[in-house]
Amino acid sequence: MSEKQPALGRQTAFDASFMILLAIALVAAGLVAWFKGPWRVVEIAASYLGFLAILSPKILCGFFIAAAVPILVPREVFTRWLGQESGLRGLGVASLAGAFVPGGPMMIFPLAVGFRAAGASTATLITFVTAWSLYGINRTVIWEMSFLHIDFVLLRVLICLPLPFAVGWIVSRVLR
Amino acid sequence: MNILIGTIVLALMAGWFWQKLETDERRAEAYSGVRRMLINNAPRLLVALVSAGLFAELLPEEVVRQYLGDTSGFKGVALGMMLGILTPGGAFVSFALAAGATQAGATAPAMMSYLTAWALFAITKVMAEELALLGARFIVTRFAVSIPLPLLVGGIALALPI
Repeated sequence: MSEKQPALGRQTAFDASFMILLAIALVAAGLVAWFKGPWRVVEIAASYLGFLAILSPKILCGFFIAAAVPILVPREVFTRWLGQESGLRGLGVASLAGAFVPGGPMMIFPLAVGFRAAGASTATLITFVTAWSLYGINRTVIWEMSFLHIDFVLLRVLICLPLPFAVGWIVSRVLR
Repeated sequence: MNILIGTIVLALMAGWFWQKLETDERRAEAYSGVRRMLINNAPRLLVALVSAGLFAELLPEEVVRQYLGDTSGFKGVALGMMLGILTPGGAFVSFALAAGATQAGATAPAMMSYLTAWALFAITKVMAEELALLGARFIVTRFAVSIPLPLLVGGIALALPI
């Protein structure tokens, strides 16, 4: 098994995906200008940039947490911890880890590769990725709670709470 | 209000982590991590958030109300799932669109199905990182067990007396 692990957070600001995003934004701006007038584009841009300013303390705090965690908990420690847990306990730990490990896909998937190398089962990894997808703390607190009503967010998270555990359990039964 | 609560929660957590870092050296390391994340993400964030606003503006209200509104029931939940799979981009795009659609009259169960499907299957996320790092077999297995989840989440929300 290869010891090599992909670097965390390797991403550049102006790559192909950014250009695609920019193209999509320009098309959307063109459509809004066509249907509602150019002034509406300026209005929307201004109001969303203002919104971003309001969100910025939250985003900065989130970035700080995401930067601090790898310094405080070396990846090896974390990896060994999840790799060694197995069975139902492992699924519970994976659900918690998916919910509370901060960071986006650039952080989560390399981490999952590390867990696999340390011996985590496919079921555990699927639980981890599913928990992060459904209610990872960064996305829920920074983004979802900024756009949607808190009752909606809490209800959605509550309904989703057992699901990562459930899919992991099913996988562990099928792949046995 | 939501934003304030979230900001306070994250600020407390960040403060706790700051304390735990203990030395100035390790704090400086964290700051440089923040700086790197800002440089990489700020342009993306700006463009994505503005385009999310533009897309929300383009949502045709009548269509949203007809297909995702109060009378849409489970069909709305199913449609929400399909739309969620097709929505590209980062978290802010899907949440901004869900907020826009909710304002236009979409139901909460349909939007829960939408967001669940987006979170689990959004094509861009899958293609970029997961496929490269965890492999096709992993994705196929994960998708196979996760396919019913958006309908389940939306269905439960639909059945709840609220």
